[in-house]
Amino acid sequence: MYQGKRRDFFHWGAQGIAATALLSLLERDGVVQGAAASHPVRAKRAIHICLIGGMSHVDSFDYKPELVKYHGKPLGASEKPDIFFGQVGLLRQHDWEFKQRGQSGLWISEMWPHIAEQADDLTLLRSMVSDSANHTPALFVQNSGFQFNGFPSLGSWLSYGMGTETEALPAYVVLPDSRGGPNGGASNWTNGFLPAQHQGVVLRGGAQPVRDLFPARAIDRVEEAETREFLRLVNRRHLAQAGQDAALEARVRSYELAAQMQMSVPEVSDLAGETAATRAMYGVDEEHTGDAGRRCLLGRRLLERGVRFVQIYSGGPIAGNPRASWDAHESVKQNHSFEAGRIDKPVAALLRDLKQRGMLAETLVLFTTEFGRTPFAQSAANQVGPGRDHNRYGFSCWMAGAGLKTGTSYGATDDIGWKAVENPMPWHDFHATVLHLFGIDHEQLTYYHNGIRRRLTNVHGDVAEGIFA
Amino acid sequence: MRHCFSYGLFALVLAGQGALDSQAQERDTFDQAVAPILANRCLECHRGADAQGGLDLSQQGKALRGGESGPAWRAGKPLESLLWERVANGEMPPKKPLPENEREVLRKWIADGAAWGTDTIDPFRFTTESRAGTDWWSLQPLRDSQVPVVRNRDRVRNPVDAFVLARLESAELGFAEDAAPRQLIRRVYLDLIGLPPTPAEVAAFVEDPSDAAYGEMVDRLLKSKHYGERWGRHWLDVARFGESDGFERNGPRNHLWHYRDWVIDAFNADMPYDEFARLQIAGDVLRNNSPTGLAAAGFWVAGVHNTVVGGSEFMKRVAREDELEEMVGALGQTFVGLTFNCSRCHDHKFDPIRQREYYRLTAAISGVRHGEKEAVETRFHEQIEILEQELKTLNPMIAGLETKARKAVLAARKTKGKKPATPPKPYAQWEFESDLQDSLGELHGKAYGSARIENGGLVLDQQSYVETAALPIGVKEKTLEAWVLLANLKQRGGSALTLQTKSGVIFDAIVFGEREAGQWMAGSNGFVRTKSFVAPVESKADKEPVHFAIVYRADGSITGYRNGTLYGKSYKSSGLQSYQAGDSTVLFGLRHKPAGGPNRNLAGRILRAQLHLTALSPAAVAASAGVESDYVAEEELVAALSPTERSRRQEFLTRRASLLQRTAELRSKSKVKFYTVAPGNPGTTYFLTRGDVMKRGEVMTPGAVSAVRGVTADFGLAADASDADRRVRLAAWITSDKNPLFPRVMVNRLWHYHFGTGIVETPNDFGFNGGRPSHPRLLDWLAITLRQADYRLKAVHKVIVTSTAYRQGSKFRPAAHRRDAGNRLLWRKSPQRVEAEVLRDSILAVAGKLNLQAGGPGFVDVSITPNNGTTYYEPIDKEDEQLHRRTVYRFWPRGGRSALLDTFDCPDPSSTAPRRTVTTTPLQALSLLNNSFVLRMAGHLGARARREAGAGAAHQVRRIYELTLSRQPDAEEAKLAVQLVERHGAAALSRALFNSNEFVVSQ
Repeated sequence: MYQGKRRDFFHWGAQGIAATALLSLLERDGVVQGAAASHPVRAKRAIHICLIGGMSHVDSFDYKPELVKYHGKPLGASEKPDIFFGQVGLLRQHDWEFKQRGQSGLWISEMWPHIAEQADDLTLLRSMVSDSANHTPALFVQNSGFQFNGFPSLGSWLSYGMGTETEALPAYVVLPDSRGGPNGGASNWTNGFLPAQHQGVVLRGGAQPVRDLFPARAIDRVEEAETREFLRLVNRRHLAQAGQDAALEARVRSYELAAQMQMSVPEVSDLAGETAATRAMYGVDEEHTGDAGRRCLLGRRLLERGVRFVQIYSGGPIAGNPRASWDAHESVKQNHSFEAGRIDKPVAALLRDLKQRGMLAETLVLFTTEFGRTPFAQSAANQVGPGRDHNRYGFSCWMAGAGLKTGTSYGATDDIGWKAVENPMPWHDFHATVLHLFGIDHEQLTYYHNGIRRRLTNVHGDVAEGIFA
Repeated sequence: MRHCFSYGLFALVLAGQGALDSQAQERDTFDQAVAPILANRCLECHRGADAQGGLDLSQQGKALRGGESGPAWRAGKPLESLLWERVANGEMPPKKPLPENEREVLRKWIADGAAWGTDTIDPFRFTTESRAGTDWWSLQPLRDSQVPVVRNRDRVRNPVDAFVLARLESAELGFAEDAAPRQLIRRVYLDLIGLPPTPAEVAAFVEDPSDAAYGEMVDRLLKSKHYGERWGRHWLDVARFGESDGFERNGPRNHLWHYRDWVIDAFNADMPYDEFARLQIAGDVLRNNSPTGLAAAGFWVAGVHNTVVGGSEFMKRVAREDELEEMVGALGQTFVGLTFNCSRCHDHKFDPIRQREYYRLTAAISGVRHGEKEAVETRFHEQIEILEQELKTLNPMIAGLETKARKAVLAARKTKGKKPATPPKPYAQWEFESDLQDSLGELHGKAYGSARIENGGLVLDQQSYVETAALPIGVKEKTLEAWVLLANLKQRGGSALTLQTKSGVIFDAIVFGEREAGQWMAGSNGFVRTKSFVAPVESKADKEPVHFAIVYRADGSITGYRNGTLYGKSYKSSGLQSYQAGDSTVLFGLRHKPAGGPNRNLAGRILRAQLHLTALSPAAVAASAGVESDYVAEEELVAALSPTERSRRQEFLTRRASLLQRTAELRSKSKVKFYTVAPGNPGTTYFLTRGDVMKRGEVMTPGAVSAVRGVTADFGLAADASDADRRVRLAAWITSDKNPLFPRVMVNRLWHYHFGTGIVETPNDFGFNGGRPSHPRLLDWLAITLRQADYRLKAVHKVIVTSTAYRQGSKFRPAAHRRDAGNRLLWRKSPQRVEAEVLRDSILAVAGKLNLQAGGPGFVDVSITPNNGTTYYEPIDKEDEQLHRRTVYRFWPRGGRSALLDTFDCPDPSSTAPRRTVTTTPLQALSLLNNSFVLRMAGHLGARARREAGAGAAHQVRRIYELTLSRQPDAEEAKLAVQLVERHGAAALSRALFNSNEFVVSQ
């Protein structure tokens, strides 16, 4: 059934596009909704914590005791590594103590004291690799599978494929760091060539949490209500004259949904109804964790109300001083202590909260960074400086929930954490795996664009079956 | 149903076979059914000298000889054939087993005797179920069909109707009634010029809606300059026109708007379409780098451009190949509806385009590179000369008057005894006595870090600085002055006074010790205007205050003064940097923003500082520095003149200022910068095995695609031909009268925009993956019409919009809908949600605020924030005439859409958008209800109605209705609307009607 529908998009006959255009009006169902999936649907929604700048895996989720031994020794590789600044200092051991955690005994460092308590819920991916060691292309690949502008992001593909479970909220919501948007800005949550309703919608604080949610200038409540009612009446009259045209009806309906959205967005954004215990768990009222705490809690509320994909950024613009991202060229210890401190407690709370509400089983939590950092210092060749450069050859991300094998790790880097050596996982595989968890075959979720059936995974992608429970 | 075309073709071919002899029949069966399977599934590995297992399946002889394991088959004996054995057991092809039907074709073919066809295999000869061959419909010559005869002849206004009605009648359908005049005039205005008709125009047409009156109206609209603005915008969608680079940096492009203007002008002038294409492909070459040629060639570089390429040879090659693919893709999709770009790594999977041909196409454009070029407009030279002559006579006259007065002042000074020269009056002055205020104006400072006032001076350390409010006016020539006491002479790179753009990207500053220890310099962004003054090393400024001034003149010269005397040598910089009103601030201490960089702050004390918006003379600087001099202030000079002299001098000065301004204007106009093709050496183009940039094969000569028969695909050029020759030949191939795709694709685009759906639904793709024509004979008839009209598009527009097919009503008819839900047969004119641009322009027009200024740099409704390598664009809205221009003149960066354009499906120009998606979403509704621009315009329309219709609500309602909806309200509507206006004002009604279906949907 679902394959048949896909084929329509591709092999349209005489009625192809016109019919799909009508379908896409206010379509709440995705193209694979209700389809007889070829494999179990494990995830119904996802929340993505996206770390900007490159988190050091060897200091966090990828324990490398050998690095202690090699500390201060040269890397000794013959090839010139593709890093960013090109300074290859001496190898540097981790700056945080590692411990085995929970029942599973996963090694996680003290950089993440709170998340470490949830170790038994995590599926660590320790063999990630990327095509680029340059922030923006690497971030684009992570989000869309392509290093270029103009390709739909993962959240947009999921919105397109799965549709939305609520019409009162956007299917794909983006919560940027209060310090600013990531490099590449809105291109990171673009719908690309997919229809506009699949674009990520930024939800901010303040009086206009969504662009144009309320009038740009104050309008009296009675005036607002009477204007809207007048509009409804003239549209109804017009519809009666023009005949029951689907496109015109859809416009009328869109104003009803807009009104719902005006109610539901402030409702979901208002955290006042959350208990003191919940607020405390997320660190909402603490200065350092407040920003991420509010967004993680908001993320849970959005998911509860049927939003398909929530994206939370940790880190703003890549440059600047002091840095507002994970790009720890100067000092990993200093930078990562600060950045991890902002999100560790909130993210751990999110996991715990989803679990206690019984949502984790069908919610996929993604925790990613565009690349890792080098096991050697970014310093002169004979020094062990405090900073590390970009490492695209091997790094760590993690997933949780949604029927994954938990308290486990997948893949591995070499002894010093420089390159992935076991089950290397490029972003295309990561994306194929995420789609698979949603019951979607990544080769079948396509959209015709200028002669090509475009896919999130381009012409690549292998599902990492090994991480499913 | 959806396969009807390819099945139909297949059946047709089979049916024709009876007439052929059996050998030919077997050959065709092979070419048609077997060869494509072998080509698609086997030849990737089993071909050529290094074929896998030694088995080459591309030629009969070699295949029969077989590979290492023996011959591939025994004719008539599938079960004894290795080929069948491997396929049957799923061993081959290795990754994906063959589908059942393809296996059966192979088995049957061997069983039937394994007759061979074209040798070497030509997988492109026939169209199959899974791909197009050279017999594909769009590649065939144009077919001049007889205009069909229809039953309902009185609905036929021109041949278009006969073609459309013939198909409708065969489905037992017919046209809808003609649209009402009011509906029709709105439709054709929005369609042809993208603006609604005025109430007077509506009234006139309702009065006389005859075919003749309609025809005249269409002619008038096609002649309107707004036609080009509307249809040029369509073309810009296809040409992926964007005014920033995309990719990581996404920096703005300031000189690509010439291309946009050229497109609009070309549409307005009804430039023949072949010329239009030719100039875009090779205009710079054909028109000898004239402004027109350079503007037109902007087509190539309208797309994204990667400016962060990477250092390695591999990265460089990949980036260049990506760039070529982007351009080859744009070329093919735009002009011939073929996706050339899909054959970079392998033969096209669906269309008869070979990988080799892809590389011949890249060879044809391998000289094309992104860049800027300058063209000189010679037409102003004469005027400039005249102005300069006048200046030459004027200057001595002014000097004569002034010298006389100066002498008098100086003489008087001597007799009166020593009196310090009057210092020049600055634009802004900071005394730092007790606060950070500007004692003359509003440029008050704000302290950051520990910056503070102590004992009549501003105390700075290497963490602190002061920034002032933004300068409300623009800055060109200027003088920076500061009285400074340094904390030490070892410090490097701090600034005593900086004038910078708010972001700090551009600045001029009095900087100490940055490049050379212990020396003052004129600091600037990236040192672009900085040279050494070649002056002695500072030795005193840590013990006693030093006055330092830098003078920036219009000619680019920069002069430093220490304590009122010349500091080292004056020099000529790369040019005067100007600063726009509202965009600059002054800093003390910090060299430039952002704060926090190393060696950017001054340690010391600033006792006083001044900013002049003029270039002070040496004497004026000396006067300012408090050094005794013969400086004569303007006031003293004026006082020494007689009243007559005073007024003469004033007259001369005014005249001189205007002469200088006009020459400067003309000079800047004569030098025009274009973002366009900056041709490079085409170099050598290689075939790249599987598209791998490191696997270079044979050298490729320029050429095109042989499947377009009738035009030779070989350009007859050597591998080292010039860029000019390559592109001229390419243009000739595209625009050849023998290339049927060229006119077909264009008339289909016109149809697509007029009806909302093309005869072929995929305007950029006439290949196998694209749509099939709903009216193939009509498509060809239109293409022939275009050719016969010397490729003038307006002729085709006219025939389309005067047809009954176009003029019929849009009312929904359930019975017709059941037969043809998508309205592909055109039983009505489908309602069309207007595009974002039409919506925005219509709102401006009816609000009475549309600024008709055409052409030139775009208006900017985004803030542009460069931030370490990435550029952010954020939408802004304000009451500003410039922002009221037509949307086509908007500065169009990638990733910087406004909320309104965004929700109404304006494509991000990162790739070509031949068809806009049309969505209806709650966010779109919210945007049209609440967007700042919409509310502003609702206010303006309300005010307009009050102004033009007077105080009565009923009159205002009528005016707003006729402006927005081109009609009067009926009685009930009027009652409701009057109520709304009486209770909440005319703006409320305006806002409601902007949101109404009738305003937003063209029917």
